[in-house]
Amino acid sequence: MNPRLVFLTMLSIVLHSISSIAQPTPRTIRGTVLSEDQLPLEGASITIKGSGQGTASRKDGSFELPVTPQAKTLLVSFAGFEFQEIPLSQKDVYRVVLKKSSTQLEDIVVTGYSTQRKRFIAGAITTVGGDEIKNSPAAGFNQLLQGKASGVQVLSNSGVAGGSITFRIRGNNSINASSDPLYIIDGVFVSNAETIQTGLGQQQPTNPLATINPSDIESITILKDANATAIYGSQGANGVVIVTTRRGKQNTRAKISLNTYQGWSKPVGELTVANGVETAKLANEAVVNTAKDNGIDPSTVVLPFPNPDTLKTYDRLGDVYRTGRTSSYELSAQGGADRNTYYASIGYLKQESVTRPTDFERFTARLNYDNQLAKKLKLGTSIGITRTFRNVSSSDNNPQGVINSAYFVRSYLPVYNANGTYARYGSFDNHQALIDHLDNKAVGWRIIGNAFLEYSFLPELKLRSSWSIDKADEQENNYASTLISAGVSSNGSGAAFETHNLVLLNEQVLTWIKSFGTDRQHAINALVGNTISNTISELTSASGTGFPSNNITAISGASIRSGSSSRSVAKLASFFGKASYTYNDKYTIDASLRADGSSRFGANNQWGYFPSGGVTWRAGQESFIESLHFFDDLKLRASFGLTGNQNGVGAYAAKGLWGAGANYLEIAGTAPSQLANPDLTWETTRQFDAGVDVTILNKRLSVSLDYYHKYTYDLLLNVPVPNRLGFASVLQNYGTVSNKGFEVSVHSNNLSSRDFVWTTDFNISFNTNKIEKLAADISLGASGRNISILRQGYAVNSFQLYKQLYVDRNSGNAVYDDVNKDGSITNADRQIVGNALPKYSGGLTNNLQYKNFDLNVFIYFQQGNKIMDMNEFFMVHGGLQANIGFAPRQLERWQKPGDVTDIPRLTTAKANPNDNGGAANNYGGFVANLSSRYLKDGSFARLKTLSLGYTLPGSWLSAVKFSSARLYVQATNLFTVTNYTGADPEVSSQSGNQNTAGYDWATVPQPKTVQVGLTVSF
Amino acid sequence: MNRITIILVAAGLVSLSSCSKFLEENPNNAIPSETAVTDVGTARAAITGVYDAIQGYFASNYVTLGTITADNVIANGTLTQYLQLDQNAIPTDNVTTVAAYQGIYKVINAANSVITYVPAVTDPLLTTAEKNKILGEAYFARALGYFDLGRGWGGVQLQLKPTTVVSDAKGIKRSTLDQTYDQVLADLIEAEKLLPEDATTRNRAQKSTARALRARLHLYRKQWADAEQYASQVIANTAKYELIPYKNFFTAPFLTKESVFELTFSANDRNSYWNLWYPSSGGGQYTLKPAAGFVTKVKNAAIGGSRTSLIAGSGTDVYGVLYNASATSTDPSYVIRIAELYLIRAEARAQQGKLTGTDGAIADLNAVRARAGVAGTAATTKDEVLLAIEEENGIEFAFEAHRWFDLVRTERAGAVLGLTNRNFWLFPLPFADVLSDPDLEGKNNPGY
Repeated sequence: MNPRLVFLTMLSIVLHSISSIAQPTPRTIRGTVLSEDQLPLEGASITIKGSGQGTASRKDGSFELPVTPQAKTLLVSFAGFEFQEIPLSQKDVYRVVLKKSSTQLEDIVVTGYSTQRKRFIAGAITTVGGDEIKNSPAAGFNQLLQGKASGVQVLSNSGVAGGSITFRIRGNNSINASSDPLYIIDGVFVSNAETIQTGLGQQQPTNPLATINPSDIESITILKDANATAIYGSQGANGVVIVTTRRGKQNTRAKISLNTYQGWSKPVGELTVANGVETAKLANEAVVNTAKDNGIDPSTVVLPFPNPDTLKTYDRLGDVYRTGRTSSYELSAQGGADRNTYYASIGYLKQESVTRPTDFERFTARLNYDNQLAKKLKLGTSIGITRTFRNVSSSDNNPQGVINSAYFVRSYLPVYNANGTYARYGSFDNHQALIDHLDNKAVGWRIIGNAFLEYSFLPELKLRSSWSIDKADEQENNYASTLISAGVSSNGSGAAFETHNLVLLNEQVLTWIKSFGTDRQHAINALVGNTISNTISELTSASGTGFPSNNITAISGASIRSGSSSRSVAKLASFFGKASYTYNDKYTIDASLRADGSSRFGANNQWGYFPSGGVTWRAGQESFIESLHFFDDLKLRASFGLTGNQNGVGAYAAKGLWGAGANYLEIAGTAPSQLANPDLTWETTRQFDAGVDVTILNKRLSVSLDYYHKYTYDLLLNVPVPNRLGFASVLQNYGTVSNKGFEVSVHSNNLSSRDFVWTTDFNISFNTNKIEKLAADISLGASGRNISILRQGYAVNSFQLYKQLYVDRNSGNAVYDDVNKDGSITNADRQIVGNALPKYSGGLTNNLQYKNFDLNVFIYFQQGNKIMDMNEFFMVHGGLQANIGFAPRQLERWQKPGDVTDIPRLTTAKANPNDNGGAANNYGGFVANLSSRYLKDGSFARLKTLSLGYTLPGSWLSAVKFSSARLYVQATNLFTVTNYTGADPEVSSQSGNQNTAGYDWATVPQPKTVQVGLTVSF
Repeated sequence: MNRITIILVAAGLVSLSSCSKFLEENPNNAIPSETAVTDVGTARAAITGVYDAIQGYFASNYVTLGTITADNVIANGTLTQYLQLDQNAIPTDNVTTVAAYQGIYKVINAANSVITYVPAVTDPLLTTAEKNKILGEAYFARALGYFDLGRGWGGVQLQLKPTTVVSDAKGIKRSTLDQTYDQVLADLIEAEKLLPEDATTRNRAQKSTARALRARLHLYRKQWADAEQYASQVIANTAKYELIPYKNFFTAPFLTKESVFELTFSANDRNSYWNLWYPSSGGGQYTLKPAAGFVTKVKNAAIGGSRTSLIAGSGTDVYGVLYNASATSTDPSYVIRIAELYLIRAEARAQQGKLTGTDGAIADLNAVRARAGVAGTAATTKDEVLLAIEEENGIEFAFEAHRWFDLVRTERAGAVLGLTNRNFWLFPLPFADVLSDPDLEGKNNPGY
């Protein structure tokens, strides 16, 4: 993107705005707008009541405004401050002091298809915005939300920059359909579909929000309960995240900001392995023990390492981990004239992962431009364009991934052969070969755009028609050269993928907002609308093997080539309406209804209807509460409604199909591929929510409490059917999941003086998930090891393992819980021993401001979740895996009678796998190492952000013509408290499937980052 | 502004109309089940899909089940499912057994569809001869599927109709192994009747293919005379089948006279089974490794002879090269070779006491040995000859789906492999099936 072009565009917008101001006036008033601490407020809006005429304050807080003799009152407002009415007198000069608004209840919040005053809203809605976003720059959108909003769980699945996240609003509602929320950015329903095709094991490679520049975000609103989300019908059940990007304000002068930061990252934790000598000794011990088990005199066996002490250790992981650099540069301009406003920005981010060779780069550009075309007609446009670049590298169960090749290979084995070539062992590639030669490049383009026309028939009646596009394209070019395992045999192997995901949406909304009656005691806010949307996914791929040289990587150079393409289309048509009525500022009742028709579903059930209703009582306005002189505000609310979920269901999921591509002898073949289900329809979530918002202590403390009960039925489930039908499963509406929870969020203004301001935000969310009804257990995960299970009566993401009771002190063999008491270990003895869902999670944020210094301390915590440590599962193998090294934990094994440990005796003897406490099941046998000893507590509390900023004094700045400048140092993931013994408890390696959460498997750990940054505006 | 109002309202109205048509979408890579088999083109596509399904379960999973479980091959990689098979401690969710079981029933469902729908096709372009061929191939495929299920899992549930709705599942209980094999026989009789025979086809079912499988079926059922008779019928077709120098059958060009039935792969339809056998320095995973005992035997000129060509590498890095098209992934999968028919007949004859002479067991056994460059057997008594045949099978088909099934069939798995618990001579039914299928009454095979 050429920056000059952007500036020219901005310039033309500014000039255009200036030309459209001008009105003759009889008198001009002047003034300044100040905060209570006497600092000038720039950009405050000053309007004349009843005329719509207005201006905005300048940098020094000053303003001038022409007024007619009829003008009686000035309205002065500024975001974050209490609004003021100033009666006009004969004076020409006014000094306006605005008080900081101490409670969030006054905010206008974005809700489904409209905005509402928060105090009348019955739904559970959380907004994150303002300083929370501005002062802690983050590379990713997800970092802005983690721990900041109650009822919302956000986790990075790995430390890969731009990688996948887990985002849950009030728990997992679904099993087979996605539990991800609906993301709406400036009115665009954003596609959540994965664009990267390159296989990364079970790890999901990206998240749809990685393409957004967080600095462009003004606010994020999270709709949690049915009352807030039912208007989104079949897309609302998992909650809705509405992102509003920045827009210029009318009549403000151009503000140009430059924001840059430089960061350095290390892994928060690293994997470790037993050294060469230890590995060899363990291997010897396994051979000796095995001989004993087989009745052979151990002195007669040949040890694999007669002289273990002579072995060297080769540090492979050290080659993989690195200090990752991050750089970010952003430039934005915003402002507005009388009839138009603009916000324009460009950004560049480069992030190196803490493991080689993964990188992420992002270029972003945004232009939001609104124009009052005519008195009653407004045009709004928002467009964001992003280009991303990724060096993709696979992890977890791909033995030819970088971390695998460094971690699992035995540490005494040299990295290079004697002749200097890369040495490879067992199934693993050479990690250094991968670091040097892995060549998987993914370039993504994303355009998220919206244009709307809004026509005001009357001030209270508006029609808005909006068109949106979300176009996500990815081009991947992978080349496995002859220097890495994947290309060795085939003389180079190349693959190219071109993915196009397109969402087109059109909507019409007619809004009527009116207050009437004595003292405007009746207020109505109503809307009706319709949308149609089209989701198109296309994939074209080509692959080739046999290249003449490693320098020729285009598929056209391959001797054997093949290609394929596919396309799917899904459509949705909807009608919706909602209305709320408020009486006397105290009582609000509202209701909404949406009807959705989807092409994905069966002919018998194509349409669904989603109603909701809610009530709000501002008890704080009642005289008997006021007379208590305790509550500054007290609001009670309750809501109930139905929402749907069709996320993640294939475009043709209801149809009985024979799939193509079942070819033989170069003849095209077809075969039955999917069973029909004409009754297939949405999942429905019934949600009840009750909440209370309290403000006390002279508006210093505000507390929100929410209780909810979500009951999701008609789950879209791939119900396993007996394999003898020729199908493994059929998609049915069967099953029920419930989520019950309690959320608390607290905002406290601890101290607020002229020099020192201290605020604390705290939130905590408890959620209990339970599968209420399921046809039969569904077990899955860990590449067919079925460690995860879905079972009626238990939470999703449960782990089923053999519960290890103890290691026998005399025999050294592991003893497992014999669930069915038949004296024999069989599959029936596997049991649920924990799950990956936290009992509670939350965040604690402290913001301190002393004179020009600001300090932000943010701690995220979660408690009660389990992690299946697959790294130990593989690396504590008792000698069974001849090609895999050992984790240090293997050293804790039982060695002699009397040893007390949970790591059994090393042995590889074949023995009866039914025998509990026998040698077979120590590491192999039926237990096959699926022992609860590898399931660990994943609770943690982490100092997510510690940032210290210094805002340069205005006196210094005026010399250099800056309006503001802030310097800061920020540390991310600096410190973690956890019992987890793996590299990092914030991990989910099998994120490709939401039902296999909580695995730690050769995954890139989170980065521990220190960054310094500078933000200047002029 | 009224014009704009009109436009906006019109836009709204347009989107209101014709909703049901708007919501109608069909895929471009699949056809609706109702119209899946309607004419000559779709009938051909359907039978092609059956072969594709055979490739699906056989080429990797089934061969692995027949090898790693016995003594010629060990698990060397990191993937637990292979270790479990090697240790003969197979959990009910072992990935390989589940995939094979699933894959075989996919063959059966596809074959059932052909058997049900193709007779109703009235397209004049579908000649009776071609219709018979297609049906014969479907019957053969179903027979092969049930045979491979029976010898692996015991008597199974017999699905003989295509699945259209889930309720098709109800009420079908497990059959006995005899009932399963009876079904195989019935299908083979039908297949032999319908199938054509030409001089060259080896990668699709022919009359000889059905006869060869029938000979194997009779052998497994200890019906010695029948086994001998059907093996003889195939061997007698000397114009089509003959024992050729050992290495030739797995060296391109494939489809040699050795092959009675082999699954052909190509650059567009790959078989990457070699990947499990080759070491990572050769681009593979080295999960399946020739056992030390086997390596010693096959290198012994008096036992292995030219069959040493099955292995490459040296020292601790010996690997199997029966599947060797590592650059192109075009290795065939060998289902039935003529050598097997010789050894079936040898065993059938030995069991009937016919040991010597031109129609004796020893002559057949020696035919197989001679082609590998190994001297005639020293065995003379019936028991010695049977043991020699067992050994010969072990070497001749070392990396094909044989050794395990032979040792189980002859009830020698205890003596040879030390696997004395007979429960574990059968694979477990998939965990998910026991849970989801009321007709299994919650029961897996005993011991699991």
